[in-house]
Amino acid sequence: MKIGTPREILNGENRVAMTPDSATQLQKLGYECLVETGAGAKAGFSDDLYREAGVTVVDSAEALWGTADIIAKVRIPTTEELDYLTEDKTLISFFNPAGNEEGMEAAKAKGASVIAMEMVPRISRAQKMDALSSMANIAGYRAVIEAGNNFGRFFTGQVTAAGKVPPAKVLVVGAGVAGLAAIGTSTSLGAITYAFDVRPEVAEQVESMGAEFVYLDFEEEQADGAATGGYAAVSSPEFREAQLAKFRELAPEMDIVITTALIPNREAPELWTEDMVKSMKPGSVIVDLAAEKGGNCKLTVADEKVVTDNGVTIIGYTDFPSRMATQSSTLYATNIRHMLTDLTPDKDGTVNHNMDDDVIRGATVTHKGEITFPPPPPKVQAIAAQKKEKPKELTVEEKKAQEVAAFKAQTKRQFTLLGVGGVLMLLVGLVAPASFMQHFIVFVLAVFVGFQVIWGVAHSLHTPLMAITNAISSIIILGALMQIGSGSWLVILLAALSIFMAGINIFGGFLVTRRMLAMFQKS
Amino acid sequence: MEFGFTTAAYVVAAVLFILSLGGLSNQESAKRAVWYGIVGMGLAVFATLVGPGAGLWLLSLILIAAGGVIGVYVAKRVQMTEMPQLVAAMHSLVGLAAVFVGFNAHFEMGRVLAMEPEARKALEGFAAVLAKKNGAELAILKVELFLGIFIGAITFTGSVVAFGKLAGKVTSAATKLPGGHMLNLAAAIVSLLCLVWYFNTGGFLPLFLMTLAALFIGYHLIMGIGGADMPVVVSMLNSYSGWAAAAIGFSLGNDLLIVVGALVGSSGAILSYIMCKAMNRHFVSVILGGFGGPAGEQMAVEGEQIAIDAEGVAQALNEADSVILIPGYGMAVAQAQNAVSDLVRKLRGQGKNVRFAIHPVAGRLPGHMNVLLAEAKVPYDIVMEMDEINEDFPETDVAIVIGSNDIVNPAAQDDPNSPIAGMPVLECWKAKQVFVCKRGQGTGYSGIENPLFFKDNTRMFYGDARESLDKLLGLVD
Repeated sequence: MKIGTPREILNGENRVAMTPDSATQLQKLGYECLVETGAGAKAGFSDDLYREAGVTVVDSAEALWGTADIIAKVRIPTTEELDYLTEDKTLISFFNPAGNEEGMEAAKAKGASVIAMEMVPRISRAQKMDALSSMANIAGYRAVIEAGNNFGRFFTGQVTAAGKVPPAKVLVVGAGVAGLAAIGTSTSLGAITYAFDVRPEVAEQVESMGAEFVYLDFEEEQADGAATGGYAAVSSPEFREAQLAKFRELAPEMDIVITTALIPNREAPELWTEDMVKSMKPGSVIVDLAAEKGGNCKLTVADEKVVTDNGVTIIGYTDFPSRMATQSSTLYATNIRHMLTDLTPDKDGTVNHNMDDDVIRGATVTHKGEITFPPPPPKVQAIAAQKKEKPKELTVEEKKAQEVAAFKAQTKRQFTLLGVGGVLMLLVGLVAPASFMQHFIVFVLAVFVGFQVIWGVAHSLHTPLMAITNAISSIIILGALMQIGSGSWLVILLAALSIFMAGINIFGGFLVTRRMLAMFQKS
Repeated sequence: MEFGFTTAAYVVAAVLFILSLGGLSNQESAKRAVWYGIVGMGLAVFATLVGPGAGLWLLSLILIAAGGVIGVYVAKRVQMTEMPQLVAAMHSLVGLAAVFVGFNAHFEMGRVLAMEPEARKALEGFAAVLAKKNGAELAILKVELFLGIFIGAITFTGSVVAFGKLAGKVTSAATKLPGGHMLNLAAAIVSLLCLVWYFNTGGFLPLFLMTLAALFIGYHLIMGIGGADMPVVVSMLNSYSGWAAAAIGFSLGNDLLIVVGALVGSSGAILSYIMCKAMNRHFVSVILGGFGGPAGEQMAVEGEQIAIDAEGVAQALNEADSVILIPGYGMAVAQAQNAVSDLVRKLRGQGKNVRFAIHPVAGRLPGHMNVLLAEAKVPYDIVMEMDEINEDFPETDVAIVIGSNDIVNPAAQDDPNSPIAGMPVLECWKAKQVFVCKRGQGTGYSGIENPLFFKDNTRMFYGDARESLDKLLGLVD
């Protein structure tokens, strides 16, 4: 089958869904690759590079949509693009199914299969095709870079001959993939980074990236992030108030604020209010990664950079990944390639649209003339569950009491055992002759010694232990040796046989033990 | 004079045997410990030959030497994977020897009792010991030798069957004759009746009947126990062979036999206890064989098993910093220990932290995996016991399960209705990634589904363990 990638029509979109590298990998799966001329130009991939990788370059979008069986692209397809679809075609793209009813209807009417990249479930297995994460990662990085571009100072603190420079203070709101990427970038540039998230369980991740987690003084059971597929849930009004109060307190100190708070299928929550912007120092920068969904700051204008009256720059670009088209195309193309790997289990160049597979089922929004959105909830839980409450620490007294109780129980058990054993022993002693009792003492003592000694044997030496006990249990040979001198031929025969067998055992047992022990070596 | 010397030699030998077992507490002292055992045994045999061992000692020496040749031959030739069956075979020899010596004691007793008091004085060796016994002592003697033969006979057939099962000559599934344990019970009752009969008459017939019954018990009991319970069975038979020796020691009035028999018996008993504990099962339920029915509805396992190829595993291994390998019986079956060892050497060469996690019942013999790994020259200080390593799984990048199943089954912890609920298991699923090297999609010994295989971070690496690992070896850089 043929996979084709058209040029992105949307103005300002620089990415491309197939790179020469990914095309090479796709060809290994048995596919033939097509690309519209100039599709990769803005991402730094010329037509020649594609040709070198064995990709056919097609002249027009129409020709491409006509020949390819699978179309991989980046942006939500336009009406014209959807018109090209036919029954046997598969489209892999961002689709925004929740807000694109007409698009789904159109695809359904055509009978084509549509795989929406943003619907890839957030499970470990699907991480390699999670385009939202890979794009968010880029957005987080780029947000810091854009902020730095508009920020008139260093990130890192320096003491120079020309004076002392304080380090920049960065606050990242929302520690999702984009937030964590922003934290990583900003700490590596040397800024003092703070981060906040409504899910307290991510504090550990935030701290691992080198930022300081901003805790609220607020006692409320937070929804477990793992239950909502790793996304934040809507929080209560009281919680929101506590959160805003904390931000108000932080606002005057912060030089750069990066907000990334999004709740799935909802308008972005307002977290950075007008009065906070007013209280910030002139020259400060706000980067609002939620601009597309209305922004976490109400002053944000989507796709634009505005400067407020008090000199705060607010950046509301929505095309951060596209601004790093080479990087984002590479990652996106790899996501697409992994999706196709899952769609092609036999590596024979034909798509096997397996609707029983969690990942494929989740991402498919139309299939065989039916809308399959929304998908059933994923069966498996996502990352980072809230920590379970630890078992209550016992106080010293309680521990002591437990120990005493355990000791008493043990003493009682031992006393009972000894008592019963002693009585039994006395009973035996009453009937048995003295000579027997002499041997019996030896026997009991030997059992005790045996128990004490064997408990000390290393687990790893249990096989040699068995072999050596085997060898020494051939001590039965002594009995046979004592009997062989007897007069009866039958006795001599049986004793001789016993000696012979014990001989095998003695030599075999010791030798095999030695062989085994010699093998144990220290590194 | 002569007997004083013998007793002194016995004391020394007994001390040497105790030191020999005690020396197994670590790998280095163990190498010395074997010599204690060998010297002890030599001393004991020598002292017996010059002391109470009466006559025919040239024949004795020849027989010992002949047996020794066979023993040496077998010990040199045996593969380490065949250790379980070798140990079982050797137990059967001890059991049979105990039966013979017991019979002899019976015949001698009859012969000595028939003699005139004057003739008795001229007796030597064991017969001389017998001659001095009075009525009560003789009665006790009968019980002792009866017990010695009984235990010896069970050990003999039991070990032969265990050998067959371990060597694959007999089906390793649990099979019972119709009647099941009622047959065993009947045989045990017959034996008890024979004891009473023998105690009163002293004839050979009850002794012989009891031997037949005991042989049957040994056979039938072990036939009813499945392959994976063999660690318990083999250590139990080990214990029995010791008790048989001790019982014979009583009947011969030989303290060294008693001491050694008691040492071996308690050693086997402790091993059985450790094995049972590691499976969270009672000794009785293991011996009675098979798993009982589940207590209730078992948790359904959701999801699918996802396969992975050698490239994927190799990539994960190249990226990992810490790796834990969990070998099981499957590794022994596939003879994969050398491939495993090569892989580990390569990974360790790259500075990765590679270790082994050994479950106490992995394999078919206590400590079986340790011996196999040692044979493949895996240094023993990276081979860890379950308790030492179980807490390290969350910090581990890759866990590789090689031919084990039930010992890594999370159902033992999660599902109270599972037949193996409560059994301590290696918590490998807490590692970031788990690869399961497995022949196919079958279940483990207990016949229950393993939820580990369906976990999100688990990938199934299907194929013969040795071939898969060899393939992997070429791909790891």
